[in-house]
Amino acid sequence: MSNNIFSSIQKTLKRELSRMLSRPIYFLGTVVVMTFCFVFFLTLFNEGQPNKMPIGVVDLDQSTISRQYIRNLDATQQAKVIMKLHSHKEAREEMQRGKIYAFVEIKHNFAADVVSNRRPTLTFYVNNAYLVAGSLLLKDITYMSALSSGAVQRQILRAKGVEESRLMGIIQPITIDTHLIGNPWANYGTYLLNVLLPGVLQLMVLMMTIFVVGVEFKESSSHQWLENANNSIFGALTGKLLPYTFIFTLFGIIGNVLLYSYMHYPLNSGIGWMFLTTFLFVLASQSIGVLLIGLTPVLSDGVTMAAFYGLLGFTYAGFTFPIEQMPGMARIFSDFFPIRHYFNIYVNQALHGVNLSQSISSYVALIAFNILPLFVYHRLKNAAIIQNYPTK
Amino acid sequence: MDIKEHKFSFIKKWISIARDMNLIFSHEFKVVFKDRGVVIIFILASLIYPLLYCGLYRNETLVDVPIAVVDCSRSKLSTELLRHVDATQDVKIVSSFSTLAEAKEAFNARKVHGVMYIPSDFNKKISTSQQATVSIYCDMSSFLYYRALMQASNYSILDMGKQIQVEKLNAEGITGESAEIVSSPIQYNGVALFNGGNGFASFLMPAILILIIHQTLFFGIGMIAGTSREENRFHELVSSSLHRGGIFRVVIGKCACYLALYIVFSYYILELIPHIFNLPHIGNSVDIMFLMIPFLLATIFFSMTISVFIPNRETGMILFLFFSLILLFLSGISWPRSNINGFWRTFSWIFPATHGIQGYIKINTMGADLRHVSFEYISLWIQTAIYFVTTSWSYHWQINKSYKKELIKADD
Repeated sequence: MSNNIFSSIQKTLKRELSRMLSRPIYFLGTVVVMTFCFVFFLTLFNEGQPNKMPIGVVDLDQSTISRQYIRNLDATQQAKVIMKLHSHKEAREEMQRGKIYAFVEIKHNFAADVVSNRRPTLTFYVNNAYLVAGSLLLKDITYMSALSSGAVQRQILRAKGVEESRLMGIIQPITIDTHLIGNPWANYGTYLLNVLLPGVLQLMVLMMTIFVVGVEFKESSSHQWLENANNSIFGALTGKLLPYTFIFTLFGIIGNVLLYSYMHYPLNSGIGWMFLTTFLFVLASQSIGVLLIGLTPVLSDGVTMAAFYGLLGFTYAGFTFPIEQMPGMARIFSDFFPIRHYFNIYVNQALHGVNLSQSISSYVALIAFNILPLFVYHRLKNAAIIQNYPTK
Repeated sequence: MDIKEHKFSFIKKWISIARDMNLIFSHEFKVVFKDRGVVIIFILASLIYPLLYCGLYRNETLVDVPIAVVDCSRSKLSTELLRHVDATQDVKIVSSFSTLAEAKEAFNARKVHGVMYIPSDFNKKISTSQQATVSIYCDMSSFLYYRALMQASNYSILDMGKQIQVEKLNAEGITGESAEIVSSPIQYNGVALFNGGNGFASFLMPAILILIIHQTLFFGIGMIAGTSREENRFHELVSSSLHRGGIFRVVIGKCACYLALYIVFSYYILELIPHIFNLPHIGNSVDIMFLMIPFLLATIFFSMTISVFIPNRETGMILFLFFSLILLFLSGISWPRSNINGFWRTFSWIFPATHGIQGYIKINTMGADLRHVSFEYISLWIQTAIYFVTTSWSYHWQINKSYKKELIKADD
């Protein structure tokens, strides 16, 4: 019996390997897409944080103080002053054109007001339609303005004869010491790529699983596929999907190595645990693929369903908008996405480096996805034999 | 006489063009509505995706993110500070520990997404006019947690700092107006001009909406073309394309069909959906419409060009679905365009989605008018022209190929 299964897997494997050479889609859907995504995302976020974003200034004062302030702004990490504008209206229009992400307005007599203690106001505007640029610039400009204000405070206090040792305690009584756990420089690459790359992997695993199984139904070769596997649907599926388990796990691991070893993104556990997670993640995604194509042996419907599911995965990983903050109805579905469990393990192991026991439930969940093909076992087998499904 | 005849044939020609195009147009409608797969992509996906994503991201900002506190100072001041933090909308203090180690445990178990630590010398430092320090620890698994915690603590600590400052100044004998001057010699305030509520959906959804239009068109057209190639139906188009210039009738006829459908969908996706879900919608609807015409045309011709090379009905989606993500990042809505390197920025100009998303956000979210988005607007028209030419070429090539195949088949 076991010998029988083994031979059926072996025969299907051989058949599949020769099929893989028959059409370019097999190569494109595995190697090319994954390589493209690695290159794209790693080169897109290589800066870590968007630095030197273009901003404008409306300097109606043109004083030494205002020019010094603008020079200071230009020296901050995130901002670069690329435009000197003449009015609020003009600056606003440049922002609407998307040329600048923020601008600062310095009013007439700003310097004179500072010197004569008339408490002038600095106003800066950020564009939160681009939320990342807007909030980073707001932080930087606020910080710069606080420093400028602090410098004036210091002068006044010194003039009033306050002791040097007490100056800071008056200017800024409480400071914040911020610790960003696992990602100390708020690197966007770390934040996004750890989920985006597995997300693309899941998408391609789903697509290719559905394609390689569904195409047998579409081209009415499913009967021959099953026959070749000694009529064992288990052998037929295993032999067929094994090459993709291998290829996609390999690419998943290449992704892990790129992120943790090449880019040196935080990894607070052994890299082996991420390899294992990647492997289980690929298996789970394949099982979902089998389930989807089993529900409808029609290839193009299977692909459409997988597209829907796969894209939702990016939302349901919960890394952009946390799951627990979504509306109640939406929350319950997150557990049905392998990427959610992958994300949990990644946060626990790689980012926080906590005890493995914390992630056991996620590992179990990933493994549990492999039960899913059982639900369509008979359906797939019957469909393969009778071949009575529409090909379109 | 000659002139009359010429005129007559001219009219006849136009009638024949119109008849051909009308034929292709109504034929294409039938193709779309008879194919379940295409109906799902064009109609169902266009209808459901906007509802779904708007629903998932309905909560614009994080509310009451659970955090833990470790108050080693246990003073009146520290209690007040924590009460302040708890009162913000962003975070909620759900547990209080006596050591940082205990708090870390709760953090690692992901029961809390942040920790605020007030050291034991907090009160003493403040009373002796030294700087006191409060430490916060942020969960970086989602940047929104980080932002919520930073907002809440910055706001509360600045506020308390001001109070302390005034007391200190009074103690130094600086009071009244002069204390005010010292406490803020320069007043500064930051204003978010657009998306003032910092909403996540308000930021992301406009881009997603345009992407939905772009991608459903692309995959739908790809599926139609893949199917006709599978069934070798391209030769059906031969009869109308055999006349000189007939290829344009085919291309324009088909384009008109998709355009008619997507003008309706665009109204739903870009007008109704923002109304229903309270997304930013401060732009002029007429301007949006003016932008959408070249966007839809460019997208249709772009999709038709690529579709000729799609051999099967499912191929397009299998190979290009991941590209939805790439397009989202290329658009520069999240990672700013100014920081996308030259190669990828140039690459992004290939796709109508890039200009469509930027143009739509500028008009819709920032209230720009058409002259502010002239770059996007002109680019989209240039794309329309280029992709119209490439579509005509590739259709010509494909139809001829299909026709020859048919001839050989007939010979056999």
